Amino acid sequence: MGNSVEVKNVSKRYKLYKKKSERLFDLLVPYKDYGENFYALQNVSFTVEEGSIVGLVGINGSGKSTLANIIAGVIPSTNGHVTSNGDVALIAVNAGLDGKLSGRENIELKLLMLGFSQKQISEMEDEIIEFAELEKFIDQPVKTYSSGMKSRLGFSISVRVNPDILIVDEALSVGDKAFSEKSLDKMMEFKKKGKTMFFVSHSIAQMKKFCDQILWLEFGVVKEYGPTKEVIAKYETFLEEYKALSKTDKKKYRTSALNRQSKKNEKPVEIL
Amino acid sequence: MKSAIKVLKEQVKFSYLINRLSVYELRSLTRGNYLGAAWEIINPAIQIMIYWFVFGFGIRQREAIGEIPYFQWMFAGILVWFFINGSVMKASKSIYTKIRMLAKMNFPMSVIPNYTIFAQLYPHLILLAIGMIVLQFIGFPISIYYIQLPIYIVGLLVFLFSLSLITSTLSTIVRDVQMLLQSVMRMLLYLSPILWPPTLLPESWQVFLKLNPFYYVIEGYRYSLLGEGWYFVENPTYTLYFVGVVVLTFLVGSYLHVKFRSQFIDFL
Repeated sequence: MGNSVEVKNVSKRYKLYKKKSERLFDLLVPYKDYGENFYALQNVSFTVEEGSIVGLVGINGSGKSTLANIIAGVIPSTNGHVTSNGDVALIAVNAGLDGKLSGRENIELKLLMLGFSQKQISEMEDEIIEFAELEKFIDQPVKTYSSGMKSRLGFSISVRVNPDILIVDEALSVGDKAFSEKSLDKMMEFKKKGKTMFFVSHSIAQMKKFCDQILWLEFGVVKEYGPTKEVIAKYETFLEEYKALSKTDKKKYRTSALNRQSKKNEKPVEIL
Repeated sequence: MKSAIKVLKEQVKFSYLINRLSVYELRSLTRGNYLGAAWEIINPAIQIMIYWFVFGFGIRQREAIGEIPYFQWMFAGILVWFFINGSVMKASKSIYTKIRMLAKMNFPMSVIPNYTIFAQLYPHLILLAIGMIVLQFIGFPISIYYIQLPIYIVGLLVFLFSLSLITSTLSTIVRDVQMLLQSVMRMLLYLSPILWPPTLLPESWQVFLKLNPFYYVIEGYRYSLLGEGWYFVENPTYTLYFVGVVVLTFLVGSYLHVKFRSQFIDFL
Protein backbone atom coordinates (compact mmCIF):
# COMPACT_ATOMS: atom_id res chain seq x y z
CA MET A 1 0.00 0.00 0.00
CA GLY A 2 1.13 3.53 -0.68
CA ASN A 3 1.93 6.28 1.70
CA SER A 4 -1.00 8.19 3.00
CA VAL A 5 0.73 10.95 4.90
CA GLU A 6 4.26 12.13 4.44
CA VAL A 7 5.72 14.59 6.91
CA LYS A 8 9.03 16.00 5.80
CA ASN A 9 11.36 18.11 7.91
CA VAL A 10 8.50 19.92 9.56
CA SER A 11 9.45 22.60 12.05
CA LYS A 12 7.19 24.98 13.85
CA ARG A 13 8.66 28.11 15.32
CA TYR A 14 6.86 30.31 17.75
CA LYS A 15 8.15 33.62 18.93
CA LEU A 16 8.19 34.47 22.59
CA TYR A 17 8.12 38.17 23.27
CA LYS A 18 8.82 39.74 26.62
CA LYS A 19 6.81 42.83 25.82
CA LYS A 20 3.90 43.54 23.52
CA SER A 21 5.95 46.17 21.74
CA GLU A 22 8.55 43.60 20.71
CA ARG A 23 5.93 41.80 18.71
CA LEU A 24 5.06 44.95 16.87
CA PHE A 25 8.69 45.80 16.12
CA ASP A 26 9.24 42.28 14.85
CA LEU A 27 6.45 42.82 12.35
CA LEU A 28 7.45 46.28 11.25
CA VAL A 29 11.24 46.18 11.26
CA PRO A 30 12.64 43.91 8.59
CA TYR A 31 16.09 42.31 8.80
CA LYS A 32 16.09 42.41 12.56
CA ASP A 33 14.92 39.75 14.94
CA TYR A 34 13.02 40.58 18.09
CA GLY A 35 11.89 38.13 20.71
CA GLU A 36 13.05 34.65 21.51
CA ASN A 37 12.59 31.69 19.20
CA PHE A 38 10.83 28.63 20.41
CA TYR A 39 10.68 25.53 18.28
CA ALA A 40 7.58 23.54 19.15
CA LEU A 41 8.62 21.05 16.47
CA GLN A 42 12.03 20.50 14.94
CA ASN A 43 12.75 18.58 11.77
CA VAL A 44 9.96 16.10 12.25
CA SER A 45 9.91 13.57 9.43
CA PHE A 46 7.98 10.36 9.09
CA THR A 47 5.71 8.56 6.68
CA VAL A 48 2.50 6.78 7.39
CA GLU A 49 1.21 3.93 5.27
CA GLU A 50 -2.33 3.96 4.09
CA GLY A 51 -4.67 2.29 6.56
CA SER A 52 -2.43 2.37 9.56
CA ILE A 53 -3.20 3.96 12.88
CA VAL A 54 -0.55 6.09 14.46
CA GLY A 55 -0.55 7.05 18.10
CA LEU A 56 1.21 10.23 19.13
CA VAL A 57 2.69 10.05 22.60
CA GLY A 58 4.88 12.29 24.69
CA ILE A 59 4.73 14.23 27.93
CA ASN A 60 2.98 17.60 28.13
CA GLY A 61 4.52 20.22 25.88
CA SER A 62 6.15 17.76 23.53
CA GLY A 63 4.33 19.11 20.48
CA LYS A 64 1.69 16.44 19.91
CA SER A 65 -1.17 18.81 19.36
CA THR A 66 0.95 21.15 17.24
CA LEU A 67 1.87 18.25 15.00
CA ALA A 68 -1.76 17.11 14.81
CA ASN A 69 -2.81 20.63 13.80
CA ILE A 70 -0.11 20.89 11.16
CA ILE A 71 -1.05 17.56 9.60
CA ALA A 72 -4.68 18.66 9.57
CA GLY A 73 -3.71 21.89 7.85
CA VAL A 74 -5.08 24.07 10.62
CA ILE A 75 -1.82 25.84 11.34
CA PRO A 76 0.98 26.37 8.84
CA SER A 77 4.42 24.91 9.50
CA THR A 78 7.42 27.22 9.55
CA ASN A 79 9.59 24.86 7.52
CA GLY A 80 9.07 21.59 5.74
CA HIS A 81 5.84 20.28 4.34
CA VAL A 82 3.14 17.70 4.80
CA THR A 83 1.68 15.78 1.90
CA SER A 84 -1.51 13.93 2.58
CA ASN A 85 -3.41 11.70 0.25
CA GLY A 86 -7.04 12.66 0.80
CA ASP A 87 -9.26 14.76 3.05
CA VAL A 88 -8.04 15.29 6.58
CA ALA A 89 -10.39 15.90 9.48
CA LEU A 90 -9.28 16.90 12.94
CA ILE A 91 -11.38 16.15 15.98
CA ALA A 92 -10.39 18.14 19.00
CA VAL A 93 -12.12 18.91 22.26
CA ASN A 94 -12.81 22.52 21.35
CA ALA A 95 -14.18 21.64 17.98
CA GLY A 96 -14.96 25.15 16.79
CA LEU A 97 -18.66 25.45 17.41
CA ASP A 98 -20.69 28.65 17.55
CA GLY A 99 -21.98 28.87 21.10
CA LYS A 100 -24.94 31.05 20.26
CA LEU A 101 -26.34 28.73 17.62
CA SER A 102 -28.13 25.49 18.42
CA GLY A 103 -26.58 22.07 17.92
CA ARG A 104 -28.62 21.54 14.78
CA GLU A 105 -27.59 24.88 13.31
CA ASN A 106 -23.98 24.12 14.13
CA ILE A 107 -24.21 20.84 12.24
CA GLU A 108 -25.66 22.64 9.22
CA LEU A 109 -23.06 25.39 9.44
CA LYS A 110 -20.14 22.98 9.67
CA LEU A 111 -21.35 20.86 6.79
CA LEU A 112 -22.01 23.97 4.75
CA MET A 113 -18.47 25.13 5.27
CA LEU A 114 -17.18 21.73 4.25
CA GLY A 115 -18.93 22.25 0.94
CA PHE A 116 -21.94 19.97 1.17
CA SER A 117 -25.14 20.84 -0.62
CA GLN A 118 -28.43 21.53 1.10
CA LYS A 119 -29.77 18.10 0.17
CA GLN A 120 -26.74 16.23 1.45
CA ILE A 121 -26.84 18.21 4.67
CA SER A 122 -30.42 17.31 5.49
CA GLU A 123 -29.62 13.68 4.79
CA MET A 124 -26.63 13.63 7.11
CA GLU A 125 -28.17 15.71 9.85
CA ASP A 126 -30.37 13.05 11.45
CA GLU A 127 -27.61 10.48 11.52
CA ILE A 128 -25.29 12.94 13.22
CA ILE A 129 -27.88 13.86 15.82
CA GLU A 130 -28.55 10.21 16.54
CA PHE A 131 -24.88 9.34 16.86
CA ALA A 132 -24.22 12.31 19.14
CA GLU A 133 -27.02 11.20 21.50
CA LEU A 134 -28.11 14.77 22.06
CA GLU A 135 -31.85 14.17 21.72
CA LYS A 136 -33.80 17.21 22.91
CA PHE A 137 -30.69 19.26 23.53
CA ILE A 138 -30.03 19.49 19.81
CA ASP A 139 -32.15 22.63 19.51
CA GLN A 140 -30.57 24.32 22.52
CA PRO A 141 -27.70 26.78 22.11
CA VAL A 142 -24.32 25.05 22.16
CA LYS A 143 -23.04 27.36 24.92
CA THR A 144 -25.34 25.50 27.34
CA TYR A 145 -23.75 22.13 26.48
CA SER A 146 -21.40 20.29 28.76
CA SER A 147 -17.89 19.62 27.46
CA GLY A 148 -18.84 15.99 26.90
CA MET A 149 -21.83 17.00 24.79
CA LYS A 150 -19.74 19.40 22.74
CA SER A 151 -17.08 16.85 21.95
CA ARG A 152 -19.74 14.26 21.16
CA LEU A 153 -21.25 16.66 18.66
CA GLY A 154 -17.87 17.50 17.16
CA PHE A 155 -16.91 13.85 16.91
CA SER A 156 -20.20 12.86 15.33
CA ILE A 157 -19.93 15.54 12.65
CA SER A 158 -16.34 14.70 11.75
CA VAL A 159 -17.06 10.99 11.61
CA ARG A 160 -20.11 11.38 9.41
CA VAL A 161 -18.20 13.58 6.98
CA ASN A 162 -16.27 10.42 6.19
CA PRO A 163 -12.75 11.81 5.80
CA ASP A 164 -9.90 9.77 4.35
CA ILE A 165 -7.61 10.67 7.20
CA LEU A 166 -8.83 11.25 10.72
CA ILE A 167 -6.92 12.90 13.54
CA VAL A 168 -8.34 12.50 17.02
CA ASP A 169 -6.81 14.90 19.52
CA GLU A 170 -7.79 13.84 23.04
CA ALA A 171 -11.41 14.11 21.98
CA LEU A 172 -12.35 10.73 23.34
CA SER A 173 -11.20 11.33 26.86
CA VAL A 174 -14.09 13.63 27.76
CA GLY A 175 -17.05 11.47 26.83
CA ASP A 176 -18.34 8.79 29.18
CA LYS A 177 -17.28 5.19 28.84
CA ALA A 178 -20.27 4.14 26.76
CA PHE A 179 -19.72 6.88 24.22
CA SER A 180 -15.98 6.45 24.02
CA GLU A 181 -16.52 2.74 23.38
CA LYS A 182 -19.00 3.59 20.69
CA SER A 183 -16.46 5.97 19.18
CA LEU A 184 -13.75 3.35 19.35
CA ASP A 185 -16.07 0.95 17.54
CA LYS A 186 -16.62 3.57 14.88
CA MET A 187 -12.90 4.01 14.53
CA MET A 188 -12.42 0.26 14.29
CA GLU A 189 -14.92 0.34 11.47
CA PHE A 190 -12.83 3.03 9.80
CA LYS A 191 -9.74 0.94 10.34
CA LYS A 192 -11.35 -1.96 8.56
CA LYS A 193 -12.22 0.33 5.70
CA GLY A 194 -8.54 1.13 5.46
CA LYS A 195 -8.58 4.74 6.59
CA THR A 196 -5.50 6.32 8.07
CA MET A 197 -5.84 7.64 11.57
CA PHE A 198 -3.86 9.61 14.09
CA PHE A 199 -4.56 9.32 17.72
CA VAL A 200 -3.37 11.72 20.39
CA SER A 201 -3.98 10.49 23.89
CA HIS A 202 -2.42 10.03 27.28
CA SER A 203 -4.17 6.73 27.73
CA ILE A 204 -1.57 4.04 27.09
CA ALA A 205 -4.17 1.31 27.38
CA GLN A 206 -6.16 2.81 24.50
CA MET A 207 -3.01 3.16 22.44
CA LYS A 208 -2.04 -0.47 22.94
CA LYS A 209 -5.45 -1.64 21.93
CA PHE A 210 -5.77 0.51 18.91
CA CYS A 211 -2.56 1.72 17.27
CA ASP A 212 -0.25 0.02 14.81
CA GLN A 213 2.52 2.55 15.07
CA ILE A 214 3.62 4.91 17.78
CA LEU A 215 5.34 8.23 17.25
CA TRP A 216 7.03 9.37 20.41
CA LEU A 217 7.68 13.08 20.50
CA GLU A 218 9.96 14.62 23.03
CA PHE A 219 10.14 18.40 23.25
CA GLY A 220 9.55 18.87 19.58
CA VAL A 221 11.70 16.11 18.11
CA VAL A 222 10.91 12.55 17.18
CA LYS A 223 12.39 10.26 19.77
CA GLU A 224 11.07 6.96 18.46
CA TYR A 225 8.83 5.85 15.65
CA GLY A 226 7.93 2.23 15.18
CA PRO A 227 5.55 -0.61 15.95
CA THR A 228 3.36 -0.04 18.98
CA LYS A 229 4.78 -2.84 21.13
CA GLU A 230 8.39 -1.72 20.97
CA VAL A 231 7.87 1.99 21.35
CA ILE A 232 5.19 1.82 24.02
CA ALA A 233 7.42 -0.39 26.15
CA LYS A 234 10.24 2.12 25.89
CA TYR A 235 7.88 5.01 26.55
CA GLU A 236 6.55 3.29 29.65
CA THR A 237 10.04 2.75 31.02
CA PHE A 238 10.82 6.38 30.29
CA LEU A 239 7.70 7.50 32.17
CA GLU A 240 8.70 5.38 35.15
CA GLU A 241 12.17 6.87 35.18
CA TYR A 242 10.84 10.38 34.67
CA LYS A 243 8.41 9.99 37.54
CA ALA A 244 11.18 8.71 39.76
CA LEU A 245 13.39 11.72 39.11
CA SER A 246 13.75 14.19 41.93
CA LYS A 247 12.23 17.62 41.58
CA THR A 248 15.53 19.30 40.78
CA ASP A 249 16.44 16.65 38.23
CA LYS A 250 13.07 17.04 36.52
CA LYS A 251 13.62 20.74 36.34
CA LYS A 252 17.14 20.31 34.96
CA TYR A 253 15.78 17.97 32.34
CA ARG A 254 13.12 20.39 31.29
CA THR A 255 15.46 23.40 31.19
CA SER A 256 17.98 21.65 28.99
CA ALA A 257 15.16 20.59 26.69
CA LEU A 258 13.79 24.11 26.56
CA ASN A 259 17.22 25.50 25.74
CA ARG A 260 17.43 23.10 22.89
CA GLN A 261 14.04 24.22 21.66
CA SER A 262 15.15 27.81 21.37
CA LYS A 263 17.94 26.96 18.90
CA LYS A 264 17.52 25.88 15.38
CA ASN A 265 18.25 22.51 13.82
CA GLU A 266 20.19 20.84 16.57
CA LYS A 267 20.34 17.12 16.60
CA PRO A 268 18.30 15.54 19.36
CA VAL A 269 20.49 15.01 22.39
CA GLU A 270 20.24 12.14 24.77
CA ILE A 271 19.25 13.65 28.04
CA LEU A 272 18.60 10.74 30.30
CA MET B 1 -2.98 42.58 -8.83
CA LYS B 2 -2.59 38.83 -8.67
CA SER B 3 -4.04 38.68 -5.19
CA ALA B 4 -6.90 40.95 -6.25
CA ILE B 5 -7.90 38.46 -8.94
CA LYS B 6 -7.54 35.61 -6.49
CA VAL B 7 -9.80 37.27 -3.92
CA LEU B 8 -12.30 38.20 -6.63
CA LYS B 9 -12.42 34.64 -7.93
CA GLU B 10 -13.05 33.32 -4.44
CA GLN B 11 -16.00 35.65 -4.01
CA VAL B 12 -17.56 34.43 -7.23
CA LYS B 13 -16.85 30.79 -6.59
CA PHE B 14 -18.20 30.83 -3.07
CA SER B 15 -21.09 33.22 -3.56
CA TYR B 16 -23.58 30.51 -2.59
CA LEU B 17 -21.61 29.89 0.59
CA ILE B 18 -21.48 33.61 1.40
CA ASN B 19 -25.20 33.86 1.04
CA ARG B 20 -25.94 30.85 3.24
CA LEU B 21 -23.34 31.68 5.88
CA SER B 22 -24.68 35.20 6.25
CA VAL B 23 -28.05 33.75 7.27
CA TYR B 24 -26.43 31.77 10.08
CA GLU B 25 -24.38 34.80 11.06
CA LEU B 26 -27.56 36.87 11.32
CA ARG B 27 -29.20 34.16 13.42
CA SER B 28 -26.18 33.99 15.69
CA LEU B 29 -26.28 37.78 16.15
CA THR B 30 -29.94 38.09 16.98
CA ARG B 31 -30.28 34.92 19.04
CA GLY B 32 -30.41 35.35 22.77
CA ASN B 33 -32.46 38.55 22.93
CA TYR B 34 -36.17 38.20 23.57
CA LEU B 35 -36.97 40.64 20.81
CA GLY B 36 -34.31 39.11 18.55
CA ALA B 37 -34.17 40.69 15.13
CA ALA B 38 -36.58 43.46 16.16
CA TRP B 39 -33.62 45.21 17.78
CA GLU B 40 -32.25 45.87 14.31
CA ILE B 41 -35.17 48.29 13.95
CA ILE B 42 -35.66 49.44 17.55
CA ASN B 43 -32.05 50.46 18.01
CA PRO B 44 -31.88 52.77 14.97
CA ALA B 45 -35.31 54.20 15.80
CA ILE B 46 -34.16 55.22 19.26
CA GLN B 47 -30.97 56.77 17.89
CA ILE B 48 -32.86 58.71 15.23
CA MET B 49 -35.14 60.09 17.93
CA ILE B 50 -32.21 61.21 20.04
CA TYR B 51 -30.36 62.87 17.16
CA TRP B 52 -33.55 64.57 16.07
CA PHE B 53 -34.14 65.84 19.59
CA VAL B 54 -30.57 67.07 20.10
CA PHE B 55 -29.79 68.47 16.66
CA GLY B 56 -33.32 69.26 15.54
CA PHE B 57 -34.65 70.96 18.64
CA GLY B 58 -31.79 71.53 21.03
CA ILE B 59 -29.07 72.99 18.81
CA ARG B 60 -30.55 73.95 15.46
CA GLN B 61 -34.07 74.78 16.50
CA ARG B 62 -35.82 73.20 13.58
CA GLU B 63 -34.06 75.18 10.91
CA ALA B 64 -34.63 73.55 7.56
CA ILE B 65 -31.72 72.50 5.33
CA GLY B 66 -32.38 74.39 2.13
CA GLU B 67 -35.94 73.44 1.36
CA ILE B 68 -35.89 70.16 3.25
CA PRO B 69 -37.06 70.03 6.86
CA TYR B 70 -34.34 68.89 9.26
CA PHE B 71 -35.90 65.57 10.29
CA GLN B 72 -36.43 64.36 6.73
CA TRP B 73 -32.93 65.48 5.75
CA MET B 74 -31.26 63.69 8.67
CA PHE B 75 -33.49 60.62 8.32
CA ALA B 76 -32.55 60.03 4.66
CA GLY B 77 -28.84 60.19 5.48
CA ILE B 78 -28.70 58.28 8.72
CA LEU B 79 -30.48 55.15 7.44
CA VAL B 80 -27.38 54.06 5.55
CA TRP B 81 -25.05 55.06 8.38
CA PHE B 82 -26.35 52.25 10.61
CA PHE B 83 -25.38 49.80 7.90
CA ILE B 84 -21.97 51.40 7.33
CA ASN B 85 -21.13 51.50 11.01
CA GLY B 86 -22.32 47.96 11.75
CA SER B 87 -20.51 46.48 8.78
CA VAL B 88 -17.20 48.24 9.36
CA MET B 89 -17.08 47.25 13.01
CA LYS B 90 -18.28 43.65 12.64
CA ALA B 91 -16.29 42.88 9.49
CA SER B 92 -13.03 44.15 10.94
CA LYS B 93 -13.20 41.73 13.84
CA SER B 94 -14.72 38.94 11.77
CA ILE B 95 -11.53 37.06 11.01
CA TYR B 96 -10.08 36.84 14.49
CA THR B 97 -13.39 35.94 16.08
CA LYS B 98 -14.33 33.29 13.54
CA ILE B 99 -11.03 31.76 12.50
CA ARG B 100 -11.17 29.07 15.17
CA MET B 101 -14.39 27.83 13.69
CA LEU B 102 -13.32 28.00 10.10
CA ALA B 103 -9.64 27.22 9.88
CA LYS B 104 -10.16 23.54 10.42
CA MET B 105 -10.68 23.19 6.72
CA ASN B 106 -8.94 24.87 3.86
CA PHE B 107 -11.53 27.57 3.96
CA PRO B 108 -11.31 30.59 1.65
CA MET B 109 -10.77 33.17 4.33
CA SER B 110 -11.61 36.20 2.20
CA VAL B 111 -15.20 35.01 2.40
CA ILE B 112 -15.39 35.72 6.13
CA PRO B 113 -15.59 39.54 6.07
CA ASN B 114 -17.85 39.33 3.05
CA TYR B 115 -20.55 37.23 4.65
CA THR B 116 -20.35 39.31 7.82
CA ILE B 117 -21.20 42.36 5.70
CA PHE B 118 -24.02 40.53 3.96
CA ALA B 119 -25.46 39.59 7.35
CA GLN B 120 -25.70 43.33 8.00
CA LEU B 121 -27.25 44.02 4.60
CA TYR B 122 -30.53 42.20 5.21
CA PRO B 123 -31.56 44.24 8.25
CA HIS B 124 -30.44 47.33 6.35
CA LEU B 125 -32.76 46.57 3.43
CA ILE B 126 -35.65 46.07 5.82
CA LEU B 127 -34.81 49.31 7.59
CA LEU B 128 -34.58 51.03 4.22
CA ALA B 129 -38.01 49.74 3.22
CA ILE B 130 -39.50 50.99 6.49
CA GLY B 131 -37.73 54.30 5.96
CA MET B 132 -39.26 54.60 2.50
CA ILE B 133 -42.72 53.98 3.91
CA VAL B 134 -42.17 56.59 6.60
CA LEU B 135 -41.00 59.11 3.98
CA GLN B 136 -44.27 58.68 2.06
CA PHE B 137 -46.15 60.15 5.00
CA ILE B 138 -43.82 63.02 5.80
CA GLY B 139 -43.84 64.75 2.47
CA PHE B 140 -41.40 62.78 0.31
CA PRO B 141 -43.33 60.29 -1.81
CA ILE B 142 -41.75 57.70 -4.06
CA SER B 143 -40.10 59.16 -7.16
CA ILE B 144 -38.18 58.21 -10.30
CA TYR B 145 -34.96 58.98 -8.40
CA TYR B 146 -35.37 55.76 -6.37
CA ILE B 147 -33.99 53.77 -9.29
CA GLN B 148 -30.46 55.13 -8.74
CA LEU B 149 -30.42 53.65 -5.22
CA PRO B 150 -29.08 50.20 -6.24
CA ILE B 151 -25.99 51.91 -7.64
CA TYR B 152 -25.09 53.32 -4.25
CA ILE B 153 -25.96 50.07 -2.47
CA VAL B 154 -23.68 48.05 -4.73
CA GLY B 155 -20.96 50.70 -4.62
CA LEU B 156 -21.15 50.73 -0.85
CA LEU B 157 -21.02 46.93 -0.62
CA VAL B 158 -17.91 46.76 -2.77
CA PHE B 159 -16.25 49.52 -0.83
CA LEU B 160 -17.14 47.98 2.54
CA PHE B 161 -15.74 44.64 1.45
CA SER B 162 -12.51 46.19 0.14
CA LEU B 163 -12.09 48.17 3.33
CA SER B 164 -12.81 45.12 5.48
CA LEU B 165 -10.01 43.21 3.75
CA ILE B 166 -7.63 45.82 5.14
CA THR B 167 -9.19 46.28 8.57
CA SER B 168 -9.79 42.60 9.25
CA THR B 169 -6.18 41.78 8.40
CA LEU B 170 -4.75 44.60 10.48
CA SER B 171 -6.97 43.97 13.49
CA THR B 172 -6.09 40.28 13.48
CA ILE B 173 -2.41 41.17 13.64
CA VAL B 174 -2.73 44.11 16.03
CA ARG B 175 -5.90 44.01 18.09
CA ASP B 176 -5.65 47.74 18.87
CA VAL B 177 -6.83 48.51 15.34
CA GLN B 178 -10.32 47.56 16.44
CA MET B 179 -10.27 50.24 19.15
CA LEU B 180 -8.86 52.81 16.78
CA LEU B 181 -11.53 52.00 14.24
CA GLN B 182 -14.24 52.54 16.82
CA SER B 183 -12.99 56.06 17.44
CA VAL B 184 -12.59 56.78 13.75
CA MET B 185 -16.14 55.67 13.02
CA ARG B 186 -17.51 57.85 15.80
CA MET B 187 -15.57 60.76 14.36
CA LEU B 188 -16.82 60.04 10.86
CA LEU B 189 -20.43 60.19 12.05
CA TYR B 190 -19.85 63.87 12.75
CA LEU B 191 -17.66 64.50 9.72
CA SER B 192 -20.15 63.02 7.25
CA PRO B 193 -23.25 64.83 6.04
CA ILE B 194 -25.56 63.06 8.47
CA LEU B 195 -26.34 65.19 11.48
CA TRP B 196 -25.48 68.63 10.13
CA PRO B 197 -25.06 69.95 6.59
CA PRO B 198 -21.41 70.59 5.64
CA THR B 199 -22.69 73.41 3.43
CA LEU B 200 -22.48 75.49 6.62
CA LEU B 201 -18.71 75.36 6.24
CA PRO B 202 -16.68 77.52 3.85
CA GLU B 203 -16.43 76.02 0.35
CA SER B 204 -12.71 75.26 0.69
CA TRP B 205 -13.28 73.11 3.78
CA GLN B 206 -16.04 71.07 2.26
CA VAL B 207 -13.58 69.52 -0.18
CA PHE B 208 -11.71 67.84 2.65
CA LEU B 209 -14.88 66.33 4.06
CA LYS B 210 -15.63 64.95 0.63
CA LEU B 211 -12.41 62.89 0.68
CA ASN B 212 -14.35 60.50 2.89
CA PRO B 213 -15.94 58.02 0.45
CA PHE B 214 -18.90 57.48 2.76
CA TYR B 215 -19.80 61.12 2.05
CA TYR B 216 -20.54 60.13 -1.54
CA VAL B 217 -22.74 57.20 -0.57
CA ILE B 218 -24.70 59.12 2.05
CA GLU B 219 -25.42 61.99 -0.34
CA GLY B 220 -26.36 59.49 -3.03
CA TYR B 221 -28.87 57.84 -0.71
CA ARG B 222 -30.27 61.22 0.22
CA TYR B 223 -30.68 62.32 -3.40
CA SER B 224 -32.50 59.06 -4.16
CA LEU B 225 -34.79 59.02 -1.17
CA LEU B 226 -35.68 62.69 -1.19
CA GLY B 227 -35.79 62.95 -4.98
CA GLU B 228 -33.23 65.75 -5.16
CA GLY B 229 -31.69 64.69 -8.47
CA TRP B 230 -29.29 62.24 -10.08
CA TYR B 231 -26.32 62.47 -7.76
CA PHE B 232 -23.82 60.44 -9.76
CA VAL B 233 -24.64 62.32 -12.95
CA GLU B 234 -24.52 65.74 -11.37
CA ASN B 235 -21.16 65.02 -9.71
CA PRO B 236 -19.11 63.14 -12.33
CA THR B 237 -15.69 63.94 -10.86
CA TYR B 238 -16.80 62.87 -7.42
CA THR B 239 -18.19 59.63 -8.85
CA LEU B 240 -14.85 58.96 -10.52
CA TYR B 241 -13.06 59.72 -7.26
CA PHE B 242 -15.29 57.23 -5.43
CA VAL B 243 -14.63 54.48 -7.98
CA GLY B 244 -10.91 55.22 -7.79
CA VAL B 245 -10.89 54.94 -4.01
CA VAL B 246 -12.81 51.66 -4.17
CA VAL B 247 -10.37 50.12 -6.67
CA LEU B 248 -7.34 51.27 -4.72
CA THR B 249 -8.77 49.99 -1.43
CA PHE B 250 -9.55 46.66 -3.02
CA LEU B 251 -6.04 46.28 -4.44
CA VAL B 252 -4.37 47.14 -1.14
CA GLY B 253 -6.86 45.04 0.81
CA SER B 254 -6.46 41.89 -1.21
CA TYR B 255 -2.68 42.27 -1.22
CA LEU B 256 -2.59 42.47 2.58
CA HIS B 257 -5.15 39.72 3.00
CA VAL B 258 -3.40 37.22 0.74
CA LYS B 259 -0.02 38.08 2.20
CA PHE B 260 -1.01 37.39 5.78
CA ARG B 261 -3.85 34.94 5.61
CA SER B 262 -1.85 31.76 6.06
CA GLN B 263 -0.48 33.17 9.31
CA PHE B 264 -3.74 34.48 10.76
CA ILE B 265 -4.10 31.54 13.09
CA ASP B 266 -0.68 32.21 14.62
CA PHE B 267 -1.70 35.72 15.63
CA LEU B 268 -4.45 34.56 17.98
